[in-house]
Amino acid sequence: MPSIDYDSAADVTERLEQRLVESLTGESSVSRRTVLGGLGVAGGAAVGLGSSRASASSDHEDEDEHGNFGAVGEYRDLDFDPHEFLTAFNTGDSGQDNVPQQVYEEDGRTVREFEFTAVDTTITIAPGVEFQAWAYNGQVPGPTIRAVEGDLFRVKFTNLGRHAHTIHPHLKNLNPRMDGIPQNGPGVLDTGESFTYEWIAQPAGTHFYHCHSLPLKEHIHRGLYGTIIVDPDPERVRENPRDYVNYPGPITDDLRTQLVEEAKSRNHEYAENDAVNEMVMVMNSFDTNFDGGNEVYAANTRAFGYGVGDTDGNGNWTAGETKRPIQIDKNERQRVYLSNATEFDLINSFHTHSQFFDYYDHGTTLTPTRKTVDTIMQTQAQRGIIEIDYSDHEPGLYMFHAHQSEFAELGWMSFFEVV
Amino acid sequence: MADKTQNSTTDGGVAAENERTQPLGLPRWVSALLPIVLLVLVLGVFAFTSPLAGVQSGEPLPDVTVTHTTLPSDETVVLHVTNNGPESVTISQVLVDEAYWNFRVEGAGGDQTLAPMESARIVIPYHWNPGWDLEVALVLSDGATFHNTIVAPSQSPGFSLSLLGTLAIIGLFVGVIPVALGMLWFPYIKTMSDRWLHAVLLFAAGVLGFLAFDAGFEAFELAERVPGAYEGNLLVVFGIFGALLLVQAISAWREGRVVAGDSRASSGLWIAYLVAVGIGLHNLAEGLAIGSSFALGRVSLGAFLVIGFMLHNVTEGPAVVAPVARGKRPSIKHFAALGVIAGAPVILGGWIGSLAYSPTIGAFFLAIGVGAILQVNWEIARMVRDAGGRVASATNLLAFLLGLGVMYVTDLFVAL
Repeated sequence: MPSIDYDSAADVTERLEQRLVESLTGESSVSRRTVLGGLGVAGGAAVGLGSSRASASSDHEDEDEHGNFGAVGEYRDLDFDPHEFLTAFNTGDSGQDNVPQQVYEEDGRTVREFEFTAVDTTITIAPGVEFQAWAYNGQVPGPTIRAVEGDLFRVKFTNLGRHAHTIHPHLKNLNPRMDGIPQNGPGVLDTGESFTYEWIAQPAGTHFYHCHSLPLKEHIHRGLYGTIIVDPDPERVRENPRDYVNYPGPITDDLRTQLVEEAKSRNHEYAENDAVNEMVMVMNSFDTNFDGGNEVYAANTRAFGYGVGDTDGNGNWTAGETKRPIQIDKNERQRVYLSNATEFDLINSFHTHSQFFDYYDHGTTLTPTRKTVDTIMQTQAQRGIIEIDYSDHEPGLYMFHAHQSEFAELGWMSFFEVV
Repeated sequence: MADKTQNSTTDGGVAAENERTQPLGLPRWVSALLPIVLLVLVLGVFAFTSPLAGVQSGEPLPDVTVTHTTLPSDETVVLHVTNNGPESVTISQVLVDEAYWNFRVEGAGGDQTLAPMESARIVIPYHWNPGWDLEVALVLSDGATFHNTIVAPSQSPGFSLSLLGTLAIIGLFVGVIPVALGMLWFPYIKTMSDRWLHAVLLFAAGVLGFLAFDAGFEAFELAERVPGAYEGNLLVVFGIFGALLLVQAISAWREGRVVAGDSRASSGLWIAYLVAVGIGLHNLAEGLAIGSSFALGRVSLGAFLVIGFMLHNVTEGPAVVAPVARGKRPSIKHFAALGVIAGAPVILGGWIGSLAYSPTIGAFFLAIGVGAILQVNWEIARMVRDAGGRVASATNLLAFLLGLGVMYVTDLFVAL
């Protein structure tokens, strides 16, 4: 998309940095972080990388006349790192520190056990903008949990929030007690109460979980949602290939092999999976003023979290930079587990610049449900897998964002930096 | 004629002649009652024959007002509603933040239907969050909706002795103490020349004039939340004129006493009491505002606000005592009484406001305060004139302006 002149970008950035630092010299109240934050914006805007500019032009003389969009300042709350979140998969044997977990065999089934705790907390959704959230294990989106088809998720849930909560999984769940709704099983869990949910990991795909307490709007949009990934079992795929295609024709041996290969690339227990760079993105939004409309949109909570900040021009972003693109290796296959938790708006969308991708709605098939598209949309709780290949592309910045321009300008605006 | 009818009444009126002849030789009371009886007859005929039945087109529109909301616990929201419309309305459903929610209607005779002018409480079990706005909508049986937003909800205190104690202490600080302090200017005011004394009186009139506008605007603002059937604006007008005319009537009665030779009635002390009553009524309204803020759980009575009220109210002290600066100094008992009458109603108002809050009561009390103040200003002008001064002298006008100005500035400190 943009014509990028990294050398000139670095020059301008350095000049601006010098000027800003000089102008701030002697003001002890201004921290280095503040200076850098300002620079991030100034730098990004000045080099015309398009992060915070409506028009991505390399002509950087007219920046100030037109003004820029983009959130001002840096994120100071470092409890949540959207870049770490992208690849934080909790499988039972490995995962995040704040998600106690283990994996064991029971009755011939692999059990992946997680401890979930609902808490009231404050998260940062835009630089300097805080949001009173209800969160699983203190984070929004909640932890991503992952299993292989047929495994058992055992989620020991304790509610420490001041409201009653549940966990409702979007899985094929055969026991109504485990559905996590007020009317079934334990119902809502009041403050201090616990319950252990057990869900069979099925069907293969990318799924959604959320609190189902009432009022639902409040409980979802305050932050109680997350992603469940169920990896397809290649052996099961080999035996039941029809379950994994939306295709009525004959299953040839080639197709069967192709499906099994695809299943292996999806399954975190297979080496084929290591060749793929997998990322979890939850499109979410926040109503900060109780008017039933969102003020902030993002992929993974933070407005412009994957936007452009300050670069040395060689793909190395200033240390401590909180708004920076997602760096990807052009020779690696990219896979995004995308879901939509947006409340109040009917749909959200995902659009890539200068790129087309394959989309697997709900991730339940191993052949794309939409092939070669650059925009997909999802309603709330809809999810899917996006597979992107940047091997043909020149290194540089490639934008992706919601193609509701309103959402994009309110924070859901991101970049891949292909290196 | 006044000379002939000796029994002049205390209100200055005269007894009517009772010698007039009645038509057809009927007794007087018959001719007094006849029009009323005939009116009842006509109304009865109208009601039973409905001669205008064909004229009516369409249904009258339903009109429901949420006068105020209380949050007795963090699991409960209570809406106080009144049906203003000419027809009964049935509250069939309640929406909280655009979600149907369960509720019950209390105080409407066991059902969900409100007769015209009937009020009720809608009790909603809802786990609300402090500070998170709630939008509540009433859905009537015909699908009409009435919305009410509870901005930044916080728990209502409910009734408790400690709340009454707290309000008494607040009232003491914002009402009684500043007025008493202001009255300590009395010895100084006493030494002033007539010219400056009149200026002080006009300053007091300025202070009161400001309060009249302040309370008047507030009364009309509050009147918007008065259920439509009660005609909030007209209620305020009635309150203002009612108080003005009532106090003026008392004043006129006093003059009758002066003419009759009652020396006590002629003293400045009388005016001082009138001023104290006027200010007291104003402070009652101020107390109502504080108390209702408590009742609605919307109170941030920080030290700053209390200081603001004190600065604001300290100017009311000299206004009370200026009228007694000439002549014999009244006994200390009178000073105490003046201070209590002017200042203590803050406490009373606080209690009323916290226990029985409604916009109707609030607007009406504010209006009464305005009327009383207007009458006092009238009285002060006369006092200056009677003492041989010119009300509209340059000094006096500037003093009046200063009174307005000081109140404006100190009012900036008071934002409830």
